[in-house]
Amino acid sequence: MNNLPEDCVAIILSLTTPLDVCRSSAVSRIFRSAADSDDVWNHFLPTTDFPAGFAAPAGLPTRKQLFFSLVDNPLLLNDTDLSFSLERKSGNKCYMMAARALSIVWGHDPRYWHWISLPNTRFGEVAELIMVWWLEITGKINITLLSDDTLYAAYLVFKWNPSPYGFRQPVEASLVFLADTDSTDDVQPSMISLMQDPSGDEAQSAELRRDGWYEVELGQFFKRRGDMGEIEMSLKETKRPFEKKGLILYGIEIRPKP
Amino acid sequence: MAIIKPEMMKSYIWLETADGSIQQVEQEVAMFCPMICQEVIQKGVGSSKNYAISLPQRVNPAMLSLIFDYCRFHQVPGRSNKERKIYDEKFIRMDTKRLCELTSAADSLQLKPLVDLTSRALARIIEGKTPEEIREIFHLPDDLTEEEKLEPLKNTMDDPRIRLLNRLYAKKRKELKEREKLKSIEVEEHVDERSVDDLLSFINGRDPKVVKTSKSKKKNKKRKEHKNGTSNGTCEASEKDSHNLHSKSQSAEIIDKTASCLGDVSNLLSMEDDIFTPKTEFEDGYIDDEIDPALKEMLDREVEDFARRLNSSWVLSIGQERQPVHFSINGNGTTRRLTGPAAGHK
Repeated sequence: MNNLPEDCVAIILSLTTPLDVCRSSAVSRIFRSAADSDDVWNHFLPTTDFPAGFAAPAGLPTRKQLFFSLVDNPLLLNDTDLSFSLERKSGNKCYMMAARALSIVWGHDPRYWHWISLPNTRFGEVAELIMVWWLEITGKINITLLSDDTLYAAYLVFKWNPSPYGFRQPVEASLVFLADTDSTDDVQPSMISLMQDPSGDEAQSAELRRDGWYEVELGQFFKRRGDMGEIEMSLKETKRPFEKKGLILYGIEIRPKP
Repeated sequence: MAIIKPEMMKSYIWLETADGSIQQVEQEVAMFCPMICQEVIQKGVGSSKNYAISLPQRVNPAMLSLIFDYCRFHQVPGRSNKERKIYDEKFIRMDTKRLCELTSAADSLQLKPLVDLTSRALARIIEGKTPEEIREIFHLPDDLTEEEKLEPLKNTMDDPRIRLLNRLYAKKRKELKEREKLKSIEVEEHVDERSVDDLLSFINGRDPKVVKTSKSKKKNKKRKEHKNGTSNGTCEASEKDSHNLHSKSQSAEIIDKTASCLGDVSNLLSMEDDIFTPKTEFEDGYIDDEIDPALKEMLDREVEDFARRLNSSWVLSIGQERQPVHFSINGNGTTRRLTGPAAGHK
């Protein structure tokens, strides 16, 4: 490879992953120079399909820096209830919908839910459940916003206030791809638990995230090139006769499954 | 501009590689390469042996024949996409050295489809390999300095150690902040008691009282308060002085004297801050909150341990004194650089 010019190396590197490119900068001088070049990193940044309302943060001279800034600092899009970031190793797009972007049944009623601001959260508000019998939280996202040929999963991000109640039993979760004509009536929801389950018996149980919040997977889907339509994710508990209390809802995060 | 005459049934293009050898190739095959096409059309060369097109240095005869095999297949219009794909997959199967040469040659002839094909194959080879492996496979020189090699690790480190370290720092910082708040409440009450004399003797003689840690904590805080020029305490102190030394009528002189006295004191105090900092840090850590000193110790040790381990693994087998971790633990704002035993650590 000694005779390969740097632009060739750059082409080759842009066909790998961000992780490989970073590793390559420790190989040799030519590799390092190619690995830092804007051409390579442009490849990992969404170009024409940047979500609407995105403006590259000023003051970032190289595309590589822009890439990593998007990985570590999710961008709030226009209406500030959707955040956008990139997954570190592959550069795939990740989104998080704020609680305000979801439809929460009874969410507008201050007897049942109230909206608070917490520090260290990227959105202005999170929803705190005071008490409700009919728990139904739904979110929708347009699949075209996501990266092609990637397996994604949707996670409910939440935590508890000092006195949760009613979540010991599993609740229903579903994730459906609403393409134009498909009927969604026959989709079977899966049962997930919002509690942590160290024994691993439940299909899906909550896990603690790095940022101190919990998350539980609502479902997965694979995005193919050219897919159009919306993904609808929901969490529901409407059948049991007791009230639910104490959930603090951050939002729903959609990111590639490793 | 050379016009291709239809009566020239099977025409050939003449090409010369860098080593001087000349060969001829069917026209439609050669014209598949944009670079050759350009030479023929723009400069009118290649129609005879004497006017052979000189090919770039990166193209040697072996690669040229490979490239022409590729062109010969693909320039036929009737083939299906599937056929082409199958051919490509087979074509690509060669050792990496040849793949590199082929990429280089195809690039200089501007044959983009072939460059893409070979690049993708090479990308697949590179994916998931460590830098050492990549160097070995491609026989690349190891020409980066150790420091340059360590730099990219910062970006790829999704290292749980770093995360835990950050969390510990955050925790420690938070606790220190809370302690600061508590301190600032209790300090205000004590400001008046201390006199300048006491302070000076404390500073100069390393007053035995310092050993009693909880008191020293307050003393430090008071020093700082004095340093900041809290008017109440110092004025009173200086007034005491003036009473002792002079009569009240000479108050003007006294004010000057105490002003300079204060100046000295604050100099001493600022010096002392630096000297005292290491000691007070530990006192901060162990005694101050009197809530859970054991936890503080543990945190301190954990933090240091992590930093040490982190530093040693980053330094790898270099034996170099490299300190990539630089942070401030002390809530007072002083920075303490942790130096792990990097030299001896492997």
